[in-house]
Amino acid sequence: MDKRIRALTDLTLKGKMYVYGKETELSSFDKSKSRIENEAIQLCEYILNQEPKITEHSALTGRFNFNGQVVGDAFKRIGHTYTARALEKYYLKPQENLSTMEWQHATADYKKVLEKGIVGIIEEIDLSIKSHTDPEKIEFLNGLKMVASTLIKWSDKCANRVMEFAKGVKNQENRQRLEKLAQALMYVPKNKPRSFYEAVLTIYVCFSADPDSLGTLDRFLSPFYFNDIESGALTKEEAQQYLQELYLMVQASTHIDSVHFTRGGESHFCVGGYDKNGRDCFNELSRLIISSMVDLPTYIPQVTLRWTEKLSFDDFKYAMEYERLDPHKRIAFTNDEKRIKCYHELCGIPYDRAVSYTMVGCNEPAFLGAITGSSSKGNILKCIETLFHEKGDSIKDLSTYEEFYAEFEKELYSDLHKIFDYDNFYNLERAKDYNYISSLFFNGCIESGKSLTQGGGDVVVASPMLIGITNLIDALIVVKQFIYDEKCCTMEELISALRADWQGYELLYTKIIKTGKFFGNDDPVSLFVSQKLYNSLYNYYKNKKNVFGYPWLVGDLLGYNEHHKWFGENTRATPDGRKNKDRLKFGIGQSEGRDKQGLSALLNSVALLDKNAIGCGATVTNITLDEQVVKNDDSFLKLCKMLEHYFINGGVHFQLTYVSQNDLLCAQREPEKYKSLRVRVTGFSDYFVKLKPSIQNDIIERTVKK
Amino acid sequence: MKGLIFDIQRSSFVDGDGVRTTVFFKGCNLKCKWCHNPEGIKNYKEMLFYKSKCTGCGLCRKICQNNEKECTLCGNCALICPNDAKEICGKEYNTGELFEIIQRDKALYSQTGGGVTFSGGECMLQIDFLRSILEKCYENGINTAVDTAGNVPFSYFEKILPYVNTFLYDVKCIDEELHKEHTGVSNTLILENLERLIKAGKRIVVRTPVIGGFNDTDKELFRIFNYLKGKGIEKAELLPYHNMGAHKYEGLSLPFKEFAAPSKDFMEKYKKVFSTV
Repeated sequence: MDKRIRALTDLTLKGKMYVYGKETELSSFDKSKSRIENEAIQLCEYILNQEPKITEHSALTGRFNFNGQVVGDAFKRIGHTYTARALEKYYLKPQENLSTMEWQHATADYKKVLEKGIVGIIEEIDLSIKSHTDPEKIEFLNGLKMVASTLIKWSDKCANRVMEFAKGVKNQENRQRLEKLAQALMYVPKNKPRSFYEAVLTIYVCFSADPDSLGTLDRFLSPFYFNDIESGALTKEEAQQYLQELYLMVQASTHIDSVHFTRGGESHFCVGGYDKNGRDCFNELSRLIISSMVDLPTYIPQVTLRWTEKLSFDDFKYAMEYERLDPHKRIAFTNDEKRIKCYHELCGIPYDRAVSYTMVGCNEPAFLGAITGSSSKGNILKCIETLFHEKGDSIKDLSTYEEFYAEFEKELYSDLHKIFDYDNFYNLERAKDYNYISSLFFNGCIESGKSLTQGGGDVVVASPMLIGITNLIDALIVVKQFIYDEKCCTMEELISALRADWQGYELLYTKIIKTGKFFGNDDPVSLFVSQKLYNSLYNYYKNKKNVFGYPWLVGDLLGYNEHHKWFGENTRATPDGRKNKDRLKFGIGQSEGRDKQGLSALLNSVALLDKNAIGCGATVTNITLDEQVVKNDDSFLKLCKMLEHYFINGGVHFQLTYVSQNDLLCAQREPEKYKSLRVRVTGFSDYFVKLKPSIQNDIIERTVKK
Repeated sequence: MKGLIFDIQRSSFVDGDGVRTTVFFKGCNLKCKWCHNPEGIKNYKEMLFYKSKCTGCGLCRKICQNNEKECTLCGNCALICPNDAKEICGKEYNTGELFEIIQRDKALYSQTGGGVTFSGGECMLQIDFLRSILEKCYENGINTAVDTAGNVPFSYFEKILPYVNTFLYDVKCIDEELHKEHTGVSNTLILENLERLIKAGKRIVVRTPVIGGFNDTDKELFRIFNYLKGKGIEKAELLPYHNMGAHKYEGLSLPFKEFAAPSKDFMEKYKKVFSTV
């Protein structure tokens, strides 16, 4: 690692690069002006009062944070009064044991500012103002213009501060670098960047407007990178350092005292994948983006490789090699073939926008310049609980699985309807806030004259996540296998067993646990049941739009919060062998010891779920492997081929953890000895010993594949 | 026709080329002292009992159909045991049933250059069933490997030759007395069969377990190497001893003898030597 980057890394990991929001004396609300105008004025005052972080080693600067005095960015939602109120009431608080409000991620369109500069964005705003007659929209657009101009002034202020700082720097190399930075800040982000360096600086400064995802970084930066490399204006080593400084800024965006400091997911972005012409984008810069990141001993950001059928095995293996090397587990993998098909063909998103998706947060899809509407979590197991505990009469005399399934589907759809209603309700609560600074960089807001929070974006998906999918599949398998196929028990017996929480039905319980053809074993019964369920989900959500007209995509992800525990605590016994109050399972790839047929059986089970169904929302397939598999080069090569096959077969996502169950149990008993053990949780990685006990238990119970 | 199988392991990275499904046949005619699959030795179904897991809850007694007098291996006690202290080892499959499982990873075999490996125990002891399942796999384009200790009449090999892509052939040592002492049988037939198999032009990968106190000497390993060198085998692999099968001895109520595992350096040194075979 370069000496300069090492110094910046040390400062970052000590929390010294965090930029505190500076208390600002703001003009008081002028009653003669509208709320929009007042909020925009205060925001501008706040921005111009901030101070950039500059060190002797800096080549980049310009980041600022919000402190709650004004309406901040759309990701952290600081200063969003109505959202704060809604969060207080509904965030992580199950409603009817069916739904909780969730955070929303957002991805700025850096491509736009790299192609036009902020002056180009201001021109867009002017044009839009001319096209609108609605006074509220015009007012909002004027507010955006004010904020855009302020960002230019902020950059000028940063340039001046850097120049002053440089005067006191004795080391010539450092001083010259700072002088170069000051000059660049006078030019960008106001104007379109002229070099790779200015392009990285532009993203660095604009990240304050949406401190979430870096988006499709290799695509934005490739034209600058290859142009400068070819002309000799840039070396690969310099490019690596600029990228690393950008990553360090992302790491420093989270305060060191926050649990998110060591937890990935706070900035998750993508490399590779299809472009609008159907070409695979993975290139030399994508490789550099990955290797530069793994070279840093940091936690954030994290990256997902978008795999396509056109990606060479060498490139796939390259990313896998870095994944294997990375002790901080920052690399995950997803499948473009399935996602783009779903976004384009089923959701009706134009192809050139569909290919612009990136992964954000834990593992949610978001489109460039768009917010992801993953605004809630739903308990998908509740429908089966209702059926067995409250509506037993409606199912006890049914003579075929198909008849049973028809009853079940009615209950499923009834719950989905409520889950989607809740999701809309949360969005409407959020929509009472205007957002200014993020809306500048999100497509559609300028054209529509509407805030990002109010559905101003052009292409968005709403993606409520369904917790307990694997429980539900297993519950349906048990009904089909034990009642209708093998006739081991009657429906009445199963209903009685569940109502008694299995007490007095130990033999039936053990038989189910030991001989159930559970999900993950690539069994024909399991495949039939899971595909049928996915078809039902697909049929329900296709062509449905949310309150802002965004198409629904449902996912199976659990975030780092314990939704599976909270939902489980109020869910009575279910046919999958779950007892009263047991937590639900999370994700689709971890079967907690029930998948006993090896890795290929699990991967087949996941990949063969209906390709066009729910997998394209937020979805996570966690695979825990014995570390011996990756220590041996020959085995590792086989693993790479196997996972490539999984994608060819239709799998959507995977991420890996290499650890033995014994190590995890020891880590739980003696956390002080396992402080450095990092594991993949949902879409992010974290230190095992820092996780909540129930999430630790979930990881321990995943089946380790040898 | 049915075969008695004690395990089917999908996604194996260690039993031949690519990613494979390994099918373990029950029954073996060697008694290797270090055997890590002792449940594969008897050629009949048996009950494994792990005393250390048993809490004495008595559920198994309650459910036993024969009042524990004469075990019919019905499996109910293993099924009811909440602690997995009992386990039935061995399940019969007909060719169609076994093939259905093997073919589930057919596309994966093509992608990774893998296939199916028949192992054991000694799979050659169920030669007619082995031939039947090999034929079925071969006809369906699935790469096949047979993992054998080779202690069977060569006529057995002749029955399956057309359907086998690779033989994984154990050569444990060259010294006949040493072989007898540690495996219970002479290696004369084993080595003769290997020579004949080579002459038949089959692709052969020789595998040698390296066991502390048995063959982990320069003398013995070089004897094996010199014997194999230039014979026309595809490659020779060395497999270090491990004790991962120790718990199975408890299940079978058999005494477990621990052997020494060779050091990493020792293995590396000889892997290099054997790579030139």
